[in-house]
Amino acid sequence: MSAPAQSTVVAPAAVDVRALVKHYDKVEALRGVDLVVGQGEMFALLGPNGAGKTTLFSILATLRTPTSGSARVMGKDVVTERDAIRHQIGIVFQEPAIEQRMSCRDNLMLMGLLYGLSVAASRKRASDILAQLGIAELAERRAKELSGGQRRKLELARALVTDPRVLFLDEATLGLDVDARRIFWGHVRTLANAGRTVFFTTHYMEEAEVADRIALIDSGRIVAHGTPRELKARLGGGIVSLKTNDDARARAWLNEHGFVPEPGDRGIILVHADPAAILPEVLRNLPVRVERAEVHDPSLEDVFLKLTGRGLEGGNKP
Amino acid sequence: MIRGIIAIVILDLKRFWMERTRLIAGLIQPLLYLFVLGAGIGGSSRMGGGDYRRFIFPGTMGLSLLFTATFAAIGIVFDRQIGFFKAVLVAPVPRPAIAIGKIIAGALQALAQGMVLLPFAPLAGASLDVLQTFELIGAMALASFTFSTIGVAFACRFNSTTVFPIVSNAVLLPMFFLSGGLYPLRNAPYWMQVAAHFDPVAYAVDLMRGSVLGTFFFPVPLSLGALALTIALLIWAAVRVFNRGEDDSSLGASKFGFWRR
Repeated sequence: MSAPAQSTVVAPAAVDVRALVKHYDKVEALRGVDLVVGQGEMFALLGPNGAGKTTLFSILATLRTPTSGSARVMGKDVVTERDAIRHQIGIVFQEPAIEQRMSCRDNLMLMGLLYGLSVAASRKRASDILAQLGIAELAERRAKELSGGQRRKLELARALVTDPRVLFLDEATLGLDVDARRIFWGHVRTLANAGRTVFFTTHYMEEAEVADRIALIDSGRIVAHGTPRELKARLGGGIVSLKTNDDARARAWLNEHGFVPEPGDRGIILVHADPAAILPEVLRNLPVRVERAEVHDPSLEDVFLKLTGRGLEGGNKP
Repeated sequence: MIRGIIAIVILDLKRFWMERTRLIAGLIQPLLYLFVLGAGIGGSSRMGGGDYRRFIFPGTMGLSLLFTATFAAIGIVFDRQIGFFKAVLVAPVPRPAIAIGKIIAGALQALAQGMVLLPFAPLAGASLDVLQTFELIGAMALASFTFSTIGVAFACRFNSTTVFPIVSNAVLLPMFFLSGGLYPLRNAPYWMQVAAHFDPVAYAVDLMRGSVLGTFFFPVPLSLGALALTIALLIWAAVRVFNRGEDDSSLGASKFGFWRR
């Protein structure tokens, strides 16, 4: 097999972040982040509230500038080539960014105009996108009359008006029920499969599972990244989780007998190469009453817990 | 740039049209000045009630334009709070286009409010012929544009709507009271006449009054020049705030420290 001809033009990474630092007054929101997302990837940034997700997101979305380090989107610098980036990205924010009193169609049309499309082109684009997301029948409805899930779809539609190469979503499904979230991510997955790069932040681990790759962020640093499978494999084995009537005593006993429970106060968690094999012995000999015992494959939550010593739902708001 | 401006103007006018009943509500204040304050003060004034109403008609017009334009400008502060503006800010629209679009939209809203008040001129004793009407509308347009620029130049610096009424009272009312809208500047104390020379509202009111009464306090070229200068300076000031690079989502409002993440 002959080697393919060396390409002289290498496609730039969709997102390329180097040694990125961001301070707000005295708060260090990002403390040196390195991250590369290839074109066409669906990438999740997973971490608890206050970990720096939204700050990193805002810098990539050209809404904030780094304190130091560099960030590039589609090969363009977020500070010096801001407008070039803005032509290539679509953004869904945590908070609503649509005019509630205007119809869905008008919202999308105005966005088209803002991106330099003509009135006719904007109108056509608005109809196309609404149809693509399956909400064509809502075109004339005012945004405030929509359900939560429909509103989020309208936000997604707004971000898609200009056919962006990279789609950024910041906690895009906050406040949606499980069904609405599933439908929303179904649409996003379709967009990613069609070759768009999707970069999203979330603190729901089951949302991050739909990504091709995940970066775990905590206290302004990336603590791990890889495919969901790779990340879980880092734990090497499975998980035993126990609920007892005296966790402190159980912990002491486990430590004495060579088992190392994970730190934290969310029940007792043991990571072990062969959890099913050790469970009977532990159950038989523990000097406390076990109320619940579980053996399961590691989840991203477990990975996060192992790496940072705390869960995803906790965290501290800045 | 042009499409960006058009988009902002369309957006604001669409929103304005949804609340067009405000045009009726906006009549209340100027009509109160005209027919209640005007009748009351006019009765004891040497001008007499009818003449006084005719005299303050351009002044109340100025008041109406000033407050409508400024209220429109507060939209910037609300936009920032509801997050809608974030979507505008990440669009590749030059920042000056947003500032200029806001200013044009505010001026058009003020002018629309003025046109609703205009038919009350005959009732106030100011019957206008066709030429006078066109002169007055021209002066109203220029006044609207000036006031909208003032409103946007202020509003873009604030992140919270709570400080805005303070600014209104500390800046807008003094500007209106100094303008000679309710009394002839000719008879005012010397210091007020001097101060009026630094009040854009005074020039705007004088232009409108001149087109109704035929006599001006300031020379017309001076008024036109002063308003043009005000517009130019404040557009420059507003664009500068909109252009500020760091933490763009704040639209520059962080300077005043109301803004925290």
